[in-house]
Amino acid sequence: MTKEKSSVLHLGIDLGTSRSSVSASNGQHHVVESYVGWPVDMVARKLIKKSVLFGHDALEARPMLDLHRPLERGLIKEGSQKDEQAVRELLQHLISLANPEGNQKVCAVIGVPAEAMRVSRQHLRNAVKGVADSLMIVSEPFAVAYGMDALLHTMIIDIGAGTTDFCVMNGRYPTDEDQRTLTNAGDSVDEQLVTLLRAKLPDAQFSIHMVRAWKEKFSFVGEPKGKVDVTVPVNGKPTVVDIAPEIQRACESLLPPIVETMLDLISRVEPEYQESVRHNIILAGGGSQIPNFAAALETALGEIGGGRVKAVDDPLFAGSNGSLAIAADAPESDWEKLPG
Amino acid sequence: MLHDAVEENVATITGAVPRRRRRVSGRMWFGLAAVAALVFFLVRPQGPAATGPARPNPAIEMAAAMAEAPRVGTGGGNAALQPPVPHVIDPTIFRLAVRKIVLDPGHGGTDPGAMTGGLREKEITLDIAERVAAVLAAQDFVVVLTREGDETRSLQQRVDAANTAKGDVLVSIHVNSIPTEERRGVETYYLGAASDSRIERLAGAENSGSGYSLADFRHLLEGVYADVRHEESRRLAQAVQGRLFSALMHANPQIEDRGVKQAPFVVLVGTEMPSVLAEVACLSNKEDTLLLKQDSYRQQIAEALAAGVRGYAAARGAVTTLARRGAGAN
Repeated sequence: MTKEKSSVLHLGIDLGTSRSSVSASNGQHHVVESYVGWPVDMVARKLIKKSVLFGHDALEARPMLDLHRPLERGLIKEGSQKDEQAVRELLQHLISLANPEGNQKVCAVIGVPAEAMRVSRQHLRNAVKGVADSLMIVSEPFAVAYGMDALLHTMIIDIGAGTTDFCVMNGRYPTDEDQRTLTNAGDSVDEQLVTLLRAKLPDAQFSIHMVRAWKEKFSFVGEPKGKVDVTVPVNGKPTVVDIAPEIQRACESLLPPIVETMLDLISRVEPEYQESVRHNIILAGGGSQIPNFAAALETALGEIGGGRVKAVDDPLFAGSNGSLAIAADAPESDWEKLPG
Repeated sequence: MLHDAVEENVATITGAVPRRRRRVSGRMWFGLAAVAALVFFLVRPQGPAATGPARPNPAIEMAAAMAEAPRVGTGGGNAALQPPVPHVIDPTIFRLAVRKIVLDPGHGGTDPGAMTGGLREKEITLDIAERVAAVLAAQDFVVVLTREGDETRSLQQRVDAANTAKGDVLVSIHVNSIPTEERRGVETYYLGAASDSRIERLAGAENSGSGYSLADFRHLLEGVYADVRHEESRRLAQAVQGRLFSALMHANPQIEDRGVKQAPFVVLVGTEMPSVLAEVACLSNKEDTLLLKQDSYRQQIAEALAAGVRGYAAARGAVTTLARRGAGAN
């Protein structure tokens, strides 16, 4: 029996290592940082007044929380029931943000890092079981491509926190050989920035969260436009430090592996379509917003005849909007095959 | 296109492996031919290694075959024959000490590895391994080397030596050679499918003359990706890579952090302990070559590798255990 359209809420969810977003057919759009935290004890519970916190709220209250970032390098941290529970909590939170009505059937498409699809498909399915009435899991770059209607002779490069996913779209559902994953991504830039800053400022005190915030605010590749001054305690004394060289070096560490993989994937495309793919490269994910990154990739493409790299306009919702488009297009008969 | 996405999800729900459509392209035919060539390659007598400035001619066939190998045993469309998905055990529940370190100096004997400017990879890896051994032994670790001189050792012999010694971790030491001469850096591998063709070629080169048959490989690879050792190897690789880069960046300011990567190196497949393969420098780069001629730089590499092992061991709770057991414990 076909249900009335209004009785179904379609959701597109981008389950990311760093941030997760939801786009709903009722017009709701939300993004949260992928942190889930439970109060560590009775005192924390009394102060927080909630059984679980998400995103920025969880990060802010982290001393009082058992804090989890359940995805690491594109995979659910398998073996930890707490992290699987964190994934479920996070998805339930995202669904609740979309504000489904009590009698609405929730049909969700969840975009996940491509590596998670390949390596831990079954674990992923188990972790998300029961969070919606019907569930479909797709790889994130495919969701981005679908949402942008970029399904033929295009390449998606999705630079996330845990992984950089590549997907060449050939007008069909991508196979393993159309996709690649690198662990050179936002988190590896953070780690390298920490290493470089510790070498430069051995007496400075900073946390990974501070370094991540600096990266997100000041990242760039290419020639620096000026100093990047941040204030950091050195032996307890607030000190202004120029970290432009370290930011530049850490961000540029992404370029060699991404360029190598991009060129290699292009070389594997059927020869008559290589030029089309070169001119239709879409940069998605948080890393797509690094100033000059797309231009640097275009410079690399110059070695093989040139090309065009375009960053998505809305990296926060490109994945979830694509997943929503898949959810809306999937026929009811397909949804009936997919229990939640 | 959406139908394929749904089919993949349904297959996952039912426990079947999704049927993946694959193009039967020229490359695939090449891959199939490569698998056939592998059988010939593995049964032929082991010959001397190449002597050029780059690595021995890469056995791409090996890499191609190994890239196929993980699918064996999980492929096919018959759901009834599918083994249950193994659930990974959280390794932190064991809190086991890391006491015995197996060091594997790459190449040796008739296999010089990469060569340039009078330097041979086999000599550099042995020298660095001996330095690492000295540092670790001074810190109460028990150290075993898979070769202690200029000896020819097949990869299977190295694996057997590591397993017989019942090492807690293995670090295989190599020196890289990259086609682009201006590139340099350090990278650390743990077991997994290669993420690009360069790594496939590198794995092929390092795997040549392994002494294993294709059937051995299929057996070894079944289940490896899902076990505790895989996750522990990743942690060890992160510890080693982090220390290598941070220690060498002062003496070698242009060094690249080429990252933690996955590749199907034989020595990582067959060993029964967390294992990594570290490419500690690039012999294809002139500046790296000059640095590798310096004892002090080799010592820095050795101390960084030892620090990586030490850091990993400390994270596993080994330090307390070592202190309690005292020196020479085994």
